[in-house]
Amino acid sequence: MMEKVSYNKEAIIELINLKKSFGNNRVLNDLNLTVKQGENVVVIGKSGSGKSVLIKCIIGLIKPDSGIVSVFGNDVSKLSHDDLDQMRAKVGFLFQSNALYDSMTIRENLEFPLRRHWLKDTKDTINDLVLDALTNVGLADTIDMKPSELSGGMKKRVALARTLILKPEIILYDEPTSGLDPVTGKEISNLIVEIQKKYNTSSIIISHDLSCAKITSNKIVILIDGTCYATGTFEELNNMSDKKVKQFFD
Amino acid sequence: MKSIALKHFLYETAGIYLFAVRFFKELFKPRFEFNEFLKQCYTVGNTSITLVSVTALIMGLVITIQSQPAMETFGTESWLPSVVSISLVRELVPVITALTCAGKIGSSIGAELGSMKVTEQIDSMEVSGTNPFKYLVVTRVLAATLMLPLLIILGDTISLYGAYIGVNINQNVSFHLFTNQVFAKLDFSDVLPSVIKGLFFGFTIGIISCYKGYHTKNGTEGVGKSANSSVVVSIFAVFMIDLIAAQVANIFHIL
Repeated sequence: MMEKVSYNKEAIIELINLKKSFGNNRVLNDLNLTVKQGENVVVIGKSGSGKSVLIKCIIGLIKPDSGIVSVFGNDVSKLSHDDLDQMRAKVGFLFQSNALYDSMTIRENLEFPLRRHWLKDTKDTINDLVLDALTNVGLADTIDMKPSELSGGMKKRVALARTLILKPEIILYDEPTSGLDPVTGKEISNLIVEIQKKYNTSSIIISHDLSCAKITSNKIVILIDGTCYATGTFEELNNMSDKKVKQFFD
Repeated sequence: MKSIALKHFLYETAGIYLFAVRFFKELFKPRFEFNEFLKQCYTVGNTSITLVSVTALIMGLVITIQSQPAMETFGTESWLPSVVSISLVRELVPVITALTCAGKIGSSIGAELGSMKVTEQIDSMEVSGTNPFKYLVVTRVLAATLMLPLLIILGDTISLYGAYIGVNINQNVSFHLFTNQVFAKLDFSDVLPSVIKGLFFGFTIGIISCYKGYHTKNGTEGVGKSANSSVVVSIFAVFMIDLIAAQVANIFHIL
């Protein structure tokens, strides 16, 4: 039985006093963050400031030292293995490195999460879902290729298609535009907004890319010293006089 | 400096031990990844067949050619097929096959899992609701454990054929006479222990390679190190197991 721990009824993700250290290095320090239904939150911070650790705590890949990670009102650290799997089926994760399985074709890559979560589906249904997901990102013709045959931008799109295939309610993006040229980066950013509008998903987007933040965000959080230093819209933060905030926008 | 090396050695040994314990815990838990297991059996077995076959053939030939002059000196050259076959089947083929596989399978598993680790593919599997240990490790270790004895049996057969060719370089011995001489001394109790040793060799190579790959750190540099140490540690472990097997054989007179 999953215990509901949410304190904010509107929140779909809620982080309360989250702490995480690696050895003597405290990465997250009493971090608090709330994401509402249909909201895109962009998290900005310096390299090594714990942005990726933050979203890995949300999906249960890293256990926080203390604090509460509430997703759909459930404390992630207290979920059983099966409940965690059920929760993960509703949360998509786009990895920074795309994490496409090299030994599989694009079709097999997309089928992989489907076969795990929706075992009862027929071969035809799975095939339709795969084609639909690839069509959404404009890459239906790559279905029988291997990831090594695709460009960086195409890999990112396929990874996004794989993330979307289970129709998640929450999507966690780990630097979705890193390593891409500005044009492809902008295309991916627009795709993120499109997905949010189409499926009404909530997202946390980790990014260094200000243009991505500008296009995709409803709210931006600046992570400094393991805490949320400032929160606001792109314009609000851009107009702030605080030096620590200003350095991200200069 | 020595204490750091010793600490690292003990840490690694404990890590491999705990990894093996986890393997047995996960082995009997559903769901079993049968398709991936079959795929790994094909990868481990099929890709090693040529190398194991060529190595075994050469080994049979070389051992026979090297032994022949010495046996001629003592006037025991008629024993050559029996002596060579016993040494091949009981000791040389299992060990050389295991060493070949440690190089071929060990490096392949170490590098594959290592690169999956550093490119977050293992995390991605976990997020997709798959137990990556069961999907990647259990299937590979089981495949190596089951395939190595089969490769050893194949190696035994081919090495005996190599010995037959070796005998015929200087003499003219029919295949019928050669096999009669071989099986006059070689029986099931010689083959079975080498197959049992093969199970241990395969398990050890699988566990060590998976452990090294699964715990890869420091990006692509770490992948190279994992592949390398998978081979080195597996080879060391094969010799250690062989040594232990020889001691057990002395105690029980079976192996």
